[in-house]
Amino acid sequence: MRKVLGFLFTGLALYGVYWFAANRLFDEGSYRKQVAFGSVFVPFGWAYALLGLLGLVALILLYSLLYTALVNRLQGRRRSPWPLFQEGVTHLFLWVLILLVYYPVVQVVAASFDPTNNLFSFRRPDTGFLLLDAKVIPYLPNPSLENYAALVEGVVLYPYQGALLLLAALALLGVGGIGLLRRLLAQGEWMGLWQGRLLFLMALSVFALALSLSPRQFTGQGTEAKFLLWVRNTFLISGLTGLLAVLLTATAGYAFARFRHLPGRYPMLLFFIFVQMFPGFLALVAIYYLLSRLDLLNTFTGLVLAYSGGIISFGTWVYKGYLESISPSLEEAAMVDGATRWQVFTRILLPLSAPMFVFIFLLQFVGTYSEFVLANLVLTGVETWNVGVGLRSFTTGQFQTKWGVFAAASVLGSLPILFLFYGFQQYFVSGYTAGAVKE
Amino acid sequence: MKHPPGLKGFLLALALLLGLLLLATGVGLLGYLALEAYLAPPGWTILVLALLVLVPGAVALGRLFPWLTDWYYLLPALAFLLVFTLYPIGLTVYLAFTDYSGRKNGFPDRSTETRVVAQEGARLVLEADAKEALRCDPCQGEQVEAYAEGHRARAKILEVEGPSLVLDRDLPFRAEYVAKVNTFGFVGLKNFAFILSQANQALLPVFTWNVVFALSTVLLNALLGLVLGLILHNKALKLRNFYRTALIVSWALPGVITVQVWVALLNYNFGAINRLLGVLGIYPIPWLNDPDWAKVAVLLVNLWLGFPYMMTATLGALSTIPDELYEAAKVDGATPWQTLWGITLPLLEKPMLPILLSSFAFNFNNFYLIYLLTGGGPAEEGRLATAQATDILISWAYKTAFSAEGQSAYGLGAAISLIIFALTVLISLVNFRFTGALREVR
Repeated sequence: MRKVLGFLFTGLALYGVYWFAANRLFDEGSYRKQVAFGSVFVPFGWAYALLGLLGLVALILLYSLLYTALVNRLQGRRRSPWPLFQEGVTHLFLWVLILLVYYPVVQVVAASFDPTNNLFSFRRPDTGFLLLDAKVIPYLPNPSLENYAALVEGVVLYPYQGALLLLAALALLGVGGIGLLRRLLAQGEWMGLWQGRLLFLMALSVFALALSLSPRQFTGQGTEAKFLLWVRNTFLISGLTGLLAVLLTATAGYAFARFRHLPGRYPMLLFFIFVQMFPGFLALVAIYYLLSRLDLLNTFTGLVLAYSGGIISFGTWVYKGYLESISPSLEEAAMVDGATRWQVFTRILLPLSAPMFVFIFLLQFVGTYSEFVLANLVLTGVETWNVGVGLRSFTTGQFQTKWGVFAAASVLGSLPILFLFYGFQQYFVSGYTAGAVKE
Repeated sequence: MKHPPGLKGFLLALALLLGLLLLATGVGLLGYLALEAYLAPPGWTILVLALLVLVPGAVALGRLFPWLTDWYYLLPALAFLLVFTLYPIGLTVYLAFTDYSGRKNGFPDRSTETRVVAQEGARLVLEADAKEALRCDPCQGEQVEAYAEGHRARAKILEVEGPSLVLDRDLPFRAEYVAKVNTFGFVGLKNFAFILSQANQALLPVFTWNVVFALSTVLLNALLGLVLGLILHNKALKLRNFYRTALIVSWALPGVITVQVWVALLNYNFGAINRLLGVLGIYPIPWLNDPDWAKVAVLLVNLWLGFPYMMTATLGALSTIPDELYEAAKVDGATPWQTLWGITLPLLEKPMLPILLSSFAFNFNNFYLIYLLTGGGPAEEGRLATAQATDILISWAYKTAFSAEGQSAYGLGAAISLIIFALTVLISLVNFRFTGALREVR
């Protein structure tokens, strides 16, 4: 029965897709058979591409046949060449997919180094190589850092801020160096410890830098010269939101994990979970009204407060789970010796929980970095924009002529999150999937 | 002293805490109103005043009822939840029944600002005819704000005669200007009636596309994620860690930036995607200019953004399947195909279902993708200006409330949000039902 229903549903869905494609996507009005002006068009290019792929498959087949024959001959066994062939085709599939996934990334990174780049350019490179001429492979005759220079134009750094920046960079280098050593040498206990300390130092100096920068230091003409200010704003907003998340959830998680005697603990937990069903931005009109009444529109405080409701449940949940995985015997012993609950919490549990706090902070930081709805609503002045809202001004404004600058800004704006994500990959992967299961 | 047990104890504690919070809020509000005439303080003074009451109040209450201090660990989180989540929800419900809008926003209308020439008790004499200057007729009952440097106060008009007006209370300062307040009021079900009367132009098509979008994007992402997860789970595959790390890249980049980059890549004449298609012998596709292709573009971009998550989730779910099952199947002579359909897929269902459901809930309100990629457009005939081809409910609400096309109809936007609330609750309840998250809490 279930199978029949499944087939029926699939068939219906496939027919719907077919109907949509035939009548709405490829009808005369939507899909005009007309080559875009100035672009390279190869009739039946897909057939050549397919032939090329088939050729590769044939090569893999040939290789696996020959290799297996050779090995069989040498070792005197009879093995099938098919597993080898299958593995080869799998690799081919994955590489094609990687090419497709990285295609946009490569295009943008290339555009950011192209000083002439103007998205709406009809000029076609004439190199004789098809893919270069079509700009499918980026054509960079004279790469330069001009676009990046436009982003930092007119930025005045005070000497002590320069020192902070240097400190952060050195700490980052140190972390990277230790990471490399970890791969090369035997694991030492000092490595993890120092990596943590250096990371902390870096976070501190970046935060101090973000706090000490002021809009007056960005003197360049044009909105793009404010880009670093936007980055600083984003760091400030995300950092404060992350800190607030840790502060609010630490005590709540402790109470939920350890105060089992508290009547009403269960309804309270239910309340926390039910509230998190509502993404904060759904109440955007009310939040706008509230912030306009509190005169907090266009301020970071207002935005962080608007985020604060949505950051509590997840962190509380995670921290509660973490504490429940720790045996309470140590705390009980301390209580017997006359320690108060608060002392137990601050002296015993807080030091133990540092990795968990880093985890909550990072998830919140990255989530806030990419948040757009409330940021777009609350931050209305050029000087308070964050990266996402600021980039939006490129796509709606003078996008045509500033494609290169936009690309450079995208690359620079993505780097912090990219580093964080790959640096703490385990955290993110476990965090989001576990969170999804629990939420 | 021990905590009073049972339901009574819980309710007592709750009543004490909520009473304290209410008291603090009340003092904050009243203090703000009282200060207004003398200092013209910024609105966040309310928060500061409330905090000034809350902290000593909590300490005093803790002295009186020592057992209550256990609850203080929950108090900060609880206070923030109440003020910045629960209160906005209630406020949304209220605003959905008002005509709150950019024109009627509850603030003084500076264009009606008129100089006060003379003041005597509650009677103000303006420099021009009051009815014309304040643009009201009849003026009785209208709210005005009188202000001077560092002072301001609101009052109702009782009577108007030529250039003079009588307010319902004395002002404690010498007013320099008067302006009418653009009040908004209760309009009953008017916003909902408007939504229903225009249902064919907005609600129905937007809702249909919203559901279709969320469903098909989850299915597409899950399908690609499943295939990749199955491939990469194979321990014999060389370089599998490299592949996993490399393919995760679109998840590691901030979506708010990459979506905006896609706008340029999908450009009809110059975009990198159409250039690639041209080399493949496919005519350029109007990704963002055609109402139907825009839907495809949204789905494809979200596939690029979302498949790494599904791949990772699949890998996580696959690692929970014990190896013995496969060994047993191998002993029994099952083909790989049979193993896949008989063991792997059925066992994947349980861990994957909650992930699919929460992914559905997320995409149902995936505002930033729609708003940044297509802005809800392109325009489609016979639709409201705020509800175009790829608009989903949340972007429709946003555009209604905060964009030029919507003419800042905040109340209407709140009404749409209320509909989304109802749907979100429905989805979450289904989610809870399937995942049993509530049972797990204890």
